[in-house]
Amino acid sequence: MANRIEISPTTRHEGHAKLILEVDDEGIVNKAYYLNTTPVRGFETMLRGRPAEFAPIAVMRICGICQTTHGIASCEAIEDAIGCEVPDDGLLLRELVGLGNRLHSHPLHHLLTIDDFLKPDEANLRIELIKLIQRMRKVGQLVVDIVGGEGIHPPNIVIGGMRTNITERAKSKLYYALRQYEKDAYELYEKYTELIERYLEEVGIPDLGSHEYPYIASHTTYGDRYAINWDSVVEIPPQRYYDDKEAIHTTTIQIPLYEGVPAEGGPRARLVKFGNFRAGGSALDINIARAQENLGAVYRALEILDEVNIYGKTRAEVEYKDGFGIGVHEAPRATNTHMAEVGKDGKIKSYRIIAASTWNFPIVEKAIEGYPHQYAEVIMRAYDI
Amino acid sequence: MDPFGTYKKVVSARSTLKEVLKTCQDGGIVSTAFIYGLENNLLDGVIVADNAGEFKAIPKVATTPEEVLEAAGTKYTVCPNISVLKSAVREYGCEKIGVVGTPCQVRAVRKLMKYPVGFRHIPDKISLIIGIFCMENFPYNGLKLIVEEHCGVKMEDVVKMDIGKGKFWVYTKWGETKAIKLKETHPYEQVACHVCTDYTAELADISTGSVGSPDGWSTVFIRTAKGEEIFNKMVEDGYLEVKPIEEVKPGLGLVEKLALTKKEKNMKEIEHRKELGLPVPY
Amino acid sequence: MVKVAHVQLCSCCGCLVSLADTYEKLLDVLNSIELVYCQTLADVREIPECDIALVEGSVCLDDHHSLEIAKEVKEKAKIVVALGACAATGGVTRYCRGNQLSKPVHSSFSPLTEVIKVDLAIPGCPPSPEAIVSVITAALNGDMEYLQPFAELAEKGSEACGCDLLTKVVNKSLCMGCGTCAAACPTRAIEMIDGRPNVTQYLCIKCGVCSVQCPRIRFPELIEKIE
Ligand SMILES: Cc1cc2nc3c(=O)[nH]c(=O)nc-3n(C[C@H](O)[C@H](O)[C@H](O)COP(=O)(O)OP(=O)(O)OC[C@H]3O[C@@H](n4cnc5c(N)ncnc54)[C@H](O)[C@@H]3O)c2cc1C
Ligand code: SF4
Ligand code: SF4
Ligand code: SF4
Ligand code: SF4
Repeated sequence: MANRIEISPTTRHEGHAKLILEVDDEGIVNKAYYLNTTPVRGFETMLRGRPAEFAPIAVMRICGICQTTHGIASCEAIEDAIGCEVPDDGLLLRELVGLGNRLHSHPLHHLLTIDDFLKPDEANLRIELIKLIQRMRKVGQLVVDIVGGEGIHPPNIVIGGMRTNITERAKSKLYYALRQYEKDAYELYEKYTELIERYLEEVGIPDLGSHEYPYIASHTTYGDRYAINWDSVVEIPPQRYYDDKEAIHTTTIQIPLYEGVPAEGGPRARLVKFGNFRAGGSALDINIARAQENLGAVYRALEILDEVNIYGKTRAEVEYKDGFGIGVHEAPRATNTHMAEVGKDGKIKSYRIIAASTWNFPIVEKAIEGYPHQYAEVIMRAYDI
Repeated sequence: MDPFGTYKKVVSARSTLKEVLKTCQDGGIVSTAFIYGLENNLLDGVIVADNAGEFKAIPKVATTPEEVLEAAGTKYTVCPNISVLKSAVREYGCEKIGVVGTPCQVRAVRKLMKYPVGFRHIPDKISLIIGIFCMENFPYNGLKLIVEEHCGVKMEDVVKMDIGKGKFWVYTKWGETKAIKLKETHPYEQVACHVCTDYTAELADISTGSVGSPDGWSTVFIRTAKGEEIFNKMVEDGYLEVKPIEEVKPGLGLVEKLALTKKEKNMKEIEHRKELGLPVPY
Repeated sequence: MVKVAHVQLCSCCGCLVSLADTYEKLLDVLNSIELVYCQTLADVREIPECDIALVEGSVCLDDHHSLEIAKEVKEKAKIVVALGACAATGGVTRYCRGNQLSKPVHSSFSPLTEVIKVDLAIPGCPPSPEAIVSVITAALNGDMEYLQPFAELAEKGSEACGCDLLTKVVNKSLCMGCGTCAAACPTRAIEMIDGRPNVTQYLCIKCGVCSVQCPRIRFPELIEKIE
């Protein structure tokens, strides 16, 4: 006989959601529904008829944790639509601001998950980790503050490139901050991996939360619209995806599918596609991949500081014409896609967003299924949504 | 009525830096303090009003003594210095910022430090606020009318302007000096100045102006612990010469008289606006 | 200890991230209060009775769950703080108009201040970490003088826009051109031209910060005290 368990609201992640689990007599989840319950503010329809410059500003406010990725994907989409080429230094700074965001978002996520892996008598370690994480977040946000203009909702990400370049002083400040981050990221990686390995060992299910679905990723540190076959991407309404009335009427997202099935995006997906990270393992591997990505991101950020010409042009002239474009940026949590149809009057005709985290909603369900229900939230949190 | 606001000490002072004395307005207190701050790591960026040509003023973040010198001298027109405060912290990466401003701008800075709603990570990076005395200000084209129509000097020929001894003075690059009675400039004043009751930048760390001291010297109010610290250091390190205010002419009495004149006149204007039912800052 | 809850309505979570951007100070803040509810940081699933509720986000009037949370906050908290533009002034959600999948009916969003009685409102998108901490600290210390401007905004500040600079300052012969509004604007919608703010209307997200920051509308007396 199947029991229905409801966890509402789910905690320690961004947004509002609930879990509905159908559990068998052994406590194993047969069927999971992970439902987003955040009301739809409707950024796609909000933008229709508005000047294109408003788009990046508005869409950043979809998510206060990964605002930067929405701003970048939005600009990329509009630039693609009108054939605008961002100058090299603008592009480098844009990549840098995106990495800054990753350098804060990933540690924040570690902060939200540590309580799953720490034991009650490890209060001191907890404080130590929180301090370490806050120190790392501070560097990530500093990058966004300086390059993006504001740490949260950076207004320097504009259509055509970046509003301004940075000064030599700012550059050197970032350099030293990033070098500190590098050290901290190592420490966090080691400590965090240890905690996860210990947890899995104690739980006794080494593949906790594994699934057999494919991965989706376009790039390691930025985003690449040509790396994904867009004809294979669809978004379907929950009415078509779920067979459960409550699920259909509760969730507020559409379900994205790649070649007809859900696909996992995010740190593990990127490291599997572009590196040699283990595929198909426990969902908790994603936590490790995330900690590893902190290192990749800080190295690339340091490299950009070397490459960027602080006297170079960062923003192209923008001339509007009729067109359709796709903007892709690898958000901390998955591939983030914006699609914009623009008119020659400079206004948005239509706009579509496949927000990064929506990829992982159906995947979370698959990852939870087949495992004891008490681990459902731990698995969900590995996905950072 | 209290003419000056809180202060610890008031003196007459002048810079000892030759390059400052060449371009500054009065005793060069502002530029010297900023150069001193930048050279001694007390400041890493300062906000000044640059001359964009023909005395059009634009705010600038200066990070070198040269840039401070370029922006020395008074521009008698509105310059939104505070508008670049955020970029000083962001794109410029500064952490110890000096700001110069008219009394109203100093008040704006104090407000954003106490209520930093839209100023993420800014308040703790403001290290020194220097205020300059101010009786009134002019919109740019108001200034232009004063200079070109009343003084008969082409804006592009002007090297310095000054207010003093009841007159508005214009100095040209051809070595000429023109002056008109200050009264003639009143019609060109920014009317928003008429609700302003602060003459000596009462909320600054250090405030300075020409009034009260002899030509080439400045009257300086040292108001806060921060202001006192940097001022004393500057004197110790020989960047400034100082005289007791009691020993100079015309002395503090004149500053008091002008401060009270401004306060009384503009308090009346505030009352008048209230009577009409118009809003006033509260 | 004072019980504090953080409640999220229709928001982006940026206001909470802003609070977290106090970095090392965050632990001090958390140590001086008892955080009884914060879905993003802790595993409590029901809003308990509390002294202060920091509420982030606007209310979707077309979503009964959203309305219920607003009602619950009103019942459970002694002091309700509208944290950030969405809750205080509507912010970017003023532009919502619905018709989007998968919930085409979610079309009407109002700031919390227009739905329940709110005691303090902090505008800004997001408000700075420093401002959030100042308000929390003042609320803990009962410093009503400091909080007065936020109390006024809670009562009558829900309609905010860059246009306020025109109607309340420039048009009223009060703007002296300091440029504070331009620096404050989180979207850089304000440029100073001829010593006056020029607001690019279509970049304004109605966060309310420019007029809140203007020294020519409000200049609380306590600012006069300097050391
Ligand atoms: C509009 C106005 C009215 C004034 N009215 C009086 C007065 O009635 N009585 C009096 O004693 N003094 C007045 N002053 C101040 C005086 O003119 C000098 O600026 C002051 O004495 C400083 O001189 P200094 O030699 O120490 O400074 P300097 O070393 O020459 O440096 C002056 C600094 O002020 C900045 N600055 C110049 N113009 C402006 C501006 N418009 N807004 C903001 N910053 C600016 C410059 O960038 C420079 O950094 C006024 C100044 C202004 C701008
Ligand atoms: S008179 Fe007052 S308001 Fe006018 S510029 Fe001077 S300080 Fe500012
Ligand atoms: S006010 Fe801004 S930061 Fe805060 S929730 Fe709203 S959109 Fe996000
Ligand atoms: S903050 Fe107020 S006084 Fe200053 S420029 Fe803006 S509107 Fe004018
Ligand atoms: S102009 Fe800028 S600061 Fe003012 S309400 Fe609009 S977005 Fe906010």
